[in-house]
Amino acid sequence: MKHLLKICSFVIIFVILTVSFSSSYIRTNLDNIAVVVAIGIDKGENNKLKVSFQFTNPSSVSESGSSETAPTILKSVDASSISSAVNLMNSHMGKELTLAHCKLIVFSEEVAKEGISDEIYTLMNDSQSRPSCNVVISKCTAEYYIDNSKPFLEPLISKYYELFVTSNQFTGYTANASLGKFFDNMICQSCDPYAILGGINLQLPNSSPDVSSNKESSDISNSSSLSGSTASENVGLAVFREGTFVGELNAIETLAFMCIDNDIKGFLISVPSPHVENADVDVYITPARKTKIDVSFVNGSPYIKLDCKFSGQIYSMTNNSNYLDNDVLSRISDSCNRYLEYVFTEYLYKTSKEYKSDINAIGKTSLKLFPTISQYEDYGWREHYKDSFFDVSVDVNVKSSTLLSNS
Amino acid sequence: MTDTKITSKEAIMIVVTIFVSHTIVTLPQNLLSNTKSATLINLLYVGIIAIFIAYLIFRLLKNFASLDIIDISHYLGGSVLKNIVGIIFIAYFILTSSNLLREFCEGLRVAFFPMTNILFVLVPFIIVLFITNSLSFGSNVKTISLIFPIVLISVVFLFFGNFDNFSFGRMFPILGKGFSDTFITGISNIFAFSGISCLYFIPPYLKEPHKMKRICLSSVLIGLLYFLFCTATILLLFSFFVDVDEVLPLYSAASYIEFGVFFQRVETFFMLIWILEIGCYLIVTNRFSISIFQKMTNLKIQKPLAMIFPLLILGFSLLPKNYSVIRFLETNIYAYFIIGIVFVLGIAILLLANLKKRKEGKLGNETLAKNM
Repeated sequence: MKHLLKICSFVIIFVILTVSFSSSYIRTNLDNIAVVVAIGIDKGENNKLKVSFQFTNPSSVSESGSSETAPTILKSVDASSISSAVNLMNSHMGKELTLAHCKLIVFSEEVAKEGISDEIYTLMNDSQSRPSCNVVISKCTAEYYIDNSKPFLEPLISKYYELFVTSNQFTGYTANASLGKFFDNMICQSCDPYAILGGINLQLPNSSPDVSSNKESSDISNSSSLSGSTASENVGLAVFREGTFVGELNAIETLAFMCIDNDIKGFLISVPSPHVENADVDVYITPARKTKIDVSFVNGSPYIKLDCKFSGQIYSMTNNSNYLDNDVLSRISDSCNRYLEYVFTEYLYKTSKEYKSDINAIGKTSLKLFPTISQYEDYGWREHYKDSFFDVSVDVNVKSSTLLSNS
Repeated sequence: MTDTKITSKEAIMIVVTIFVSHTIVTLPQNLLSNTKSATLINLLYVGIIAIFIAYLIFRLLKNFASLDIIDISHYLGGSVLKNIVGIIFIAYFILTSSNLLREFCEGLRVAFFPMTNILFVLVPFIIVLFITNSLSFGSNVKTISLIFPIVLISVVFLFFGNFDNFSFGRMFPILGKGFSDTFITGISNIFAFSGISCLYFIPPYLKEPHKMKRICLSSVLIGLLYFLFCTATILLLFSFFVDVDEVLPLYSAASYIEFGVFFQRVETFFMLIWILEIGCYLIVTNRFSISIFQKMTNLKIQKPLAMIFPLLILGFSLLPKNYSVIRFLETNIYAYFIIGIVFVLGIAILLLANLKKRKEGKLGNETLAKNM
């Protein structure tokens, strides 16, 4: 009898728990969800925002096999907030949208200029959205950007969104700007957020690079010198002050950001050749140690000293090059030093004076100069950062060329 | 229950289990909101005080061999004091565990069961208590011994998994809100060491009572290291953990761990470990509550109580109307409740009992001298 009672109570509890948890299971069941891989946020025509959702069909991915590109669907809706847009789209799709696999959040430049802090808070409050998904500020509309993001070398769009930023580790022309980092920098009192600058290469006659230099490093999304089929470009950075987009950085400025942020494994620069007039030498630079940042205060203004150390390897080779000569190597090193010092200084003054934004979180280094939080808040790092002075010291040791030493 | 004897290692695990379970919910966030960037220094400072308190408890318990605080209260003030102290400690165990359970289940519901009523998220834990209460304390302790190392490893993994995202500049300004907030009012952070309460109840279960000193010091030291790992993970990882309240901060911290494209979303694995840990915590507090009640009422068997205490925990955990009430109770009521009961009442009883014993000893010696 006692045994029977135990079995009965077990069965009753099992049934009750199964029924009570089934509603949560049904909600997250693969048959009932629409998987969002990217969200685009533009200014709405009839409402505050126009939110675009890019979906992928999980069953079509498995059916299509790995050699074919999985089809995606792009749907947009006008709404007052992201949550309302999700709600409207739920009813339109007949399925519940899940942001658990969302890899990309795109804001149009227009929306970003008005401030995106509310949207970022909402996304961070969502239990499904991942802090690792990338934040892109598109120079065209977010909807157009997502629609034209075609993974040429990847069958899966979600994998493409996840991997396209990895090039930053060896080019430094874009940065890994995740939602979590953006939110952290937005709240932090000693730093400012940044996002990837994206665009679509329209290949129009007037879309050629509008820069003073003819170097590739001056490329920026939407106006790069790339040709081929239309595709999204992610070159440069979008600079924010708190939650508002204030300016953009081109490829070489982004490289400077990455070097100071110690978030790069190597990069290629072209410096004037010391032995051939009007010619450049391509040097592949790798950080020899982390960039040292030292902050002090002179008459209440931050005085920031940066000390960077790199190793270099010459990539370009011409006739009559002699890279076994120590003098040639030291002259190339000097050339690299001057070039990088100039680039880093220009970048730092541009972000501090023009954008008044500390995206490198130099303010965190200054925290140790204040014994208490109230003293730090009274000083107001964000207000004083625009008055900063920079002293950049770069030491590049060009060691050799690669396979050929002289010709 | 006291028929089951436990080793000193198992005793240490029981005490640290109480420390650990509070860190899974909002304890690190509460510590950080009290002392901001100076939390690590404050924890070291408070930890040293906690070690002294643990040593003091050991010295005070030494004179009472295998008696727990309920027996000592009986010795000090008879049945009246025994019942008062018993009721206070039962209330402490039931209220803190019910609040912790509700807080954890709210986080669990937000993350995994958004459509499920909170009652049904709570019920499986209560069923676990029904089952474990029907088993011996020895088997409960063995289960804790199995789960405890996994929990400790998980937090070390959480710390090193997030190491790349750490910014050590977040430890500054070194004094946080100021010297007095860190070292004077900051002493209130000692509520984190509420696991010390177990030291009052452990002696009757010890196989080797002479190892009590080791249990007292090791458990607080391990707890301190654990707190440092947890708080450092949250403090150094992102500034929003300090400025914005998170439902389960360690769960959020776990979501940042990614090893390449293939090893992602480890937070679900952490959640599984933490569910087991919360189960262990409830087993300990529930067992101690039953033991206290048994001593108060002189009951010979525990079985009739096996369902009452889990149901009490369920009832109290359902009382808070919403999450803000839970957080209010956690930060404004229970923190001081813990300090009052664990660090003031407990030590006061032990001190007075020791004084009484010394006085009785002196009287005994005087009578002996007179008779001689």
